[in-house]
Formats: sequence, structure tokens, C-alpha cells
Amino acid sequence: MIASLGADALKMRKRPANWILFGILMLVLLLFGYVLTYIVLTHPPRNFESRVPAGILKREVFPENLLPDILQTVSTIGAAIMIIFGGLSTASEFGWLRVQTILIQKPGRTVVLLGKLLDLAIVTFLVSVVVLGAAALTSYILANIDGSSSPWPSTVMLLKGFGAIWLELSVWTAFGMFLGIAFRSTAGAIGGGLIYLFVGEALIGQLFRDTTGVKEILKFLPGINAGGVNATFPLTFRNPNATTQLVDATRGTITLLAYVAVFTILAILIFQRREVGGS
Amino acid sequence: MAQALAVETHGLTKRYATGVLAVNDLNLEVRTGEVYGFLGPNGAGKTTTLRMLSGLLHPTSGSAIVAGAAPGTPASLARLGAMVEAPAFYPYLSGRDNLRVVARYAGVPKSRIEPVLEQVDMTGRSHHTFKTYSTGMKQRLGVAAALLKDPDLLILDEPTSGLDPQGTVEMRALIRDIRREGRSVMLSSHLLNEVELTCDRVGVIAKGLLVAEGTVDELRARSGASQLLVRASPLDRAQALLEALLGPGKIQVRDQLLLLSVEPSQAASLNRRLVSDGIDVSELRVSEQSLEDVFLQLTEEPPTPTLPQKGAGIENPTIPRKGGGE
Repeated sequence: MIASLGADALKMRKRPANWILFGILMLVLLLFGYVLTYIVLTHPPRNFESRVPAGILKREVFPENLLPDILQTVSTIGAAIMIIFGGLSTASEFGWLRVQTILIQKPGRTVVLLGKLLDLAIVTFLVSVVVLGAAALTSYILANIDGSSSPWPSTVMLLKGFGAIWLELSVWTAFGMFLGIAFRSTAGAIGGGLIYLFVGEALIGQLFRDTTGVKEILKFLPGINAGGVNATFPLTFRNPNATTQLVDATRGTITLLAYVAVFTILAILIFQRREVGGS
Repeated sequence: MAQALAVETHGLTKRYATGVLAVNDLNLEVRTGEVYGFLGPNGAGKTTTLRMLSGLLHPTSGSAIVAGAAPGTPASLARLGAMVEAPAFYPYLSGRDNLRVVARYAGVPKSRIEPVLEQVDMTGRSHHTFKTYSTGMKQRLGVAAALLKDPDLLILDEPTSGLDPQGTVEMRALIRDIRREGRSVMLSSHLLNEVELTCDRVGVIAKGLLVAEGTVDELRARSGASQLLVRASPLDRAQALLEALLGPGKIQVRDQLLLLSVEPSQAASLNRRLVSDGIDVSELRVSEQSLEDVFLQLTEEPPTPTLPQKGAGIENPTIPRKGGGE
């Protein structure tokens, strides 16, 4: 499996699409989530209206709100990026003849896929580290520019927050990876994943979250459970737009871990049984 | 002593979930150290067979031994190098990096990369990305990847597909070099000239059935008697005389030539008779069937499932002709 991991790492490291994806993630997180937000809230337009004063709102980009700010990005654009990343990593080769080239070599199918899964886990971990580190540095710089003092979250909260970031990124990566193997099509995996994220989770999840019956079903969706985890890391000021979470953090964490396991097991089962090539 | 076999199949059959019977009860043998041509028209079942032999597809029934073990098992794959359907690599990686990826999967040391690049004459372009390669270079990289494991058996699916004449000649030379190294090669093709020039033995598959197996000469011989070709003047008188001598149905006229379905040993006596009747004979020779004729004869009609017997040099399945019964 180490050999498969090494082979996959080489491919992943040199695939330009991966660097572009993570570049977009960092750009959205740092530029839009931090720098532009700070600039707008420091110099709000005349028609700026908010139930929370801009001077309070801008504390969102300071170290004290590091974790909720990152998790907000991770739950939206981060989820989309990781679905694309996971889908690309499998559909781009398991839907094409390249998988033949791999399987004609020595390792069995399970070993090949486990190597890839391990590689995805490592990359997701590294992305989590970079996201947390870059956001922390940016928030520190912005707080200094502003001349404000802002306390860092405790070490325990930082570790928990890092775990939440890694877990949520892993769920969406595993989802994309699973779709890539199931559809054997990059377009199918990415399209299906993003439609689910934006229609299934964001639209239906928001519209029907208070509807009896539907609400019970929504409690099983990964995005809703990620929301439950995110609620553990609230902003330091009262957010009037905050919604009541359908699940608590414990249930959210367990459900997300279950999703990672289910997507992984299903992917392995499909990949083991599926024939390569032929009509 | 029986010659060792690199590949043997027993009743290998593949029916896809769609109901398509791609390979039907296939029995073939590739001997150690030979180049075996797997010949058949498009859609005959060649690639499906090669996929089964490489462990990519599971047979519906039947079995195979490839490089001494069941297809797809680590023992078989360790001694097998294959390029099935097309050379498939990562377009954003260089040729060398693609081989590094393959070497890692195969558990082969990096030191094998340089020799195989040299063997396929790709060292100079190995740092360029795969997407910039010509078809010929892609094919050569595919062969290089197949050679990485230093395999005893190579399976190459239409290795000259898409190559220009120069590339085709180079690929043939490469395959001959591989054979000289003592490896067995099983290559599929629908290009008769390629098979004729490269292969020691040939198996012909049509609609999933193996319809013949043997050397090219044996295939030619099995397909029917040779013909006598006669160029005579006046043609109509020669035709009338020969019809009187040989009976109806033995003579065809094609391009101002008479094709006689008779034993070549009759050439001298027929020549004497034509000349003595005042007919000028300007050409009289034995016309052997081309491999193309043989191939078309073997594959143009749906063959009946008469299966080749093990150990026979040439198989002789029943092939119904048009208008014929079962």
C-alpha cells in the first residue's frame, strides 16, 4: 500500500488542477473572508445596514473568531472545492483507461484504492493545516493593522477546531471520491456533488428545516450535521442571523465520521466488483 | 517434450451484462518464446480476451493460465507486461514521471526506467509531458511501461494502431527485439501485414470464436487448394478448352486471367494441351491465396462453434458458406 500511496502522491502533487483548486480555496478564504470583509466593515458604505454595528462585525476577522470564520468557509466553498477535488482524484482515472494501466501492475484493487484514500486523507490534513495557519496569520495581521487586541482561542479549542475542519473537509472529499467511482465520470461526479451541495443541502435544507417530518430526514444530511459541529465554535458577538441547529455537536461528529466510513466502504466495494472496460 | 505455454485458455467465455457474447468458448495457446498474433476484425472479441487475460475482466465461464498463474493474480501480474486498448497515461506528467508512477505501483526500482526508455528510444523526449507526444511516442511509452517489470510475457493490443509507416516499422523491430530477448509476446491486430511480418503463429477470432490457429503458412494452406493462374490468348478459346477438360465450376475469369481450381501438378499437361491447340500461353503460375483472402474467408461468415483441439497445429473448424446449411 505504501507503493500505491507513493504513486498516487506523485500524481496528486503534479496535477495542476489540484493546485488551482486549493488556490481558489485560499483566495476565497483570505481575500473575501478576511481582507475584503475587513476593508468593507472598517469603511462601511453609507447605505450599510446591520443589526450589529460594523465595528463589532469586523471582529469576525480577528483571532478571537478564527474558528467560526474558517468553518463558515469550509462549510460552503470548502465543501464545493473538496467535492471537486475528491471527484477529480477518482473519476479522472477510474473512468478512463488509466485505471487499466494501474491494475495491470502488481497490487490488487483494494490496495490501489486504499493507497489513494490514504493520500486523500493526508492531503486533506495538509489543506486543513494550511487553511488554519494562513487564516490565523491573516487575522493576526488584520488585528494589528486595526490596533485592536483580540485573544486567541484556547489550545483545546484550536485542536477541536482543527479536528472539525479536517473532518468536514474529509467528508466532502470522501463524497466526491465516492461519486467519482460510482459515476466513472468527472462531469457526473462534480455535477452531482455540487447539485447535491447547493440544492439538496443549502436550498432544501434551509427551506424545510422547520417542516415537521422533513426535519427528521434533514438531521441525517452531512451539511446539517456539519452545522451542528460548527455551532460549537460560536462568534464572540451575538449573531442575529444565526439559525437554530437541528443536531448537536456530538451527533454531528458521529454522523460525519459515519459518512466518511460509508463513502469509503461503498467506494471500495464498487471498485472491487466493477469490471474495467467492456460494454 | 511439450513446449511450455505462456498463455492457455480453456473454454474462456465472456458475456457482458448487456447480453453481448463477446468471447465464446475460447481455447488458445501461446507458446513460450513466440510472438503470437491474435487476429480478428473490429469487434471480434480481441480486446475483451486480452482484458480477461490481464485480469481486468472476469470471464463468465472457462479459465486461463497466464504466465503460469490465474489472470489478475499477483503471481501472474508479476510476470506480465501489458498494454490493452491504448497507452493510457497522465497527460500532465512527463513520460519519465508516468513510468515512475507505473514503477511504484508495480514495485519496480526506479533504476528500471532508464533501460526501458532506451529500449523504446524515448530517452530524448522523456522529460516532455505525455500530452505533447505523437501517437507513435505514446505507443512506445506504453510498451516501455509494459517492459518495466522485465516480464516473461507481453500482451500488446494493436501496438501499431495509429502509427505512420515509419512508426510501424520501428514497432515491428521493437517487437522482434523483445522476442529475441526470450520473451513471449501476444499481440492483437486486424492488420494482416503486421501479423505476417511479426508473428510466429496466429489465432484468428471472429464473433468471439477462435476459427483457426497455426502459422501463417498453415493458415494459407488450410483455407483451400492453391489455384493455377493462366494468361492465354485468345482468352475465350482457352476458357472453352479448359472447361471441356476440367469440367464446369473449376474456372474463373478475372482481369483477363483464368483462375483454375486444380492441383498445381497439372500445370505442365494443361500447358501442353493449350499450346497444341494453337493457344498462346504467356503466363502460367501457381497463385497462392493471400493472408487477406484467408482472413476474409475465415471471418466473413459466422463460424459454427467447432472448437480447436489441443495439440493440433492447425484447427479446421467448419465454416458454412453462403447458402450452406449448419
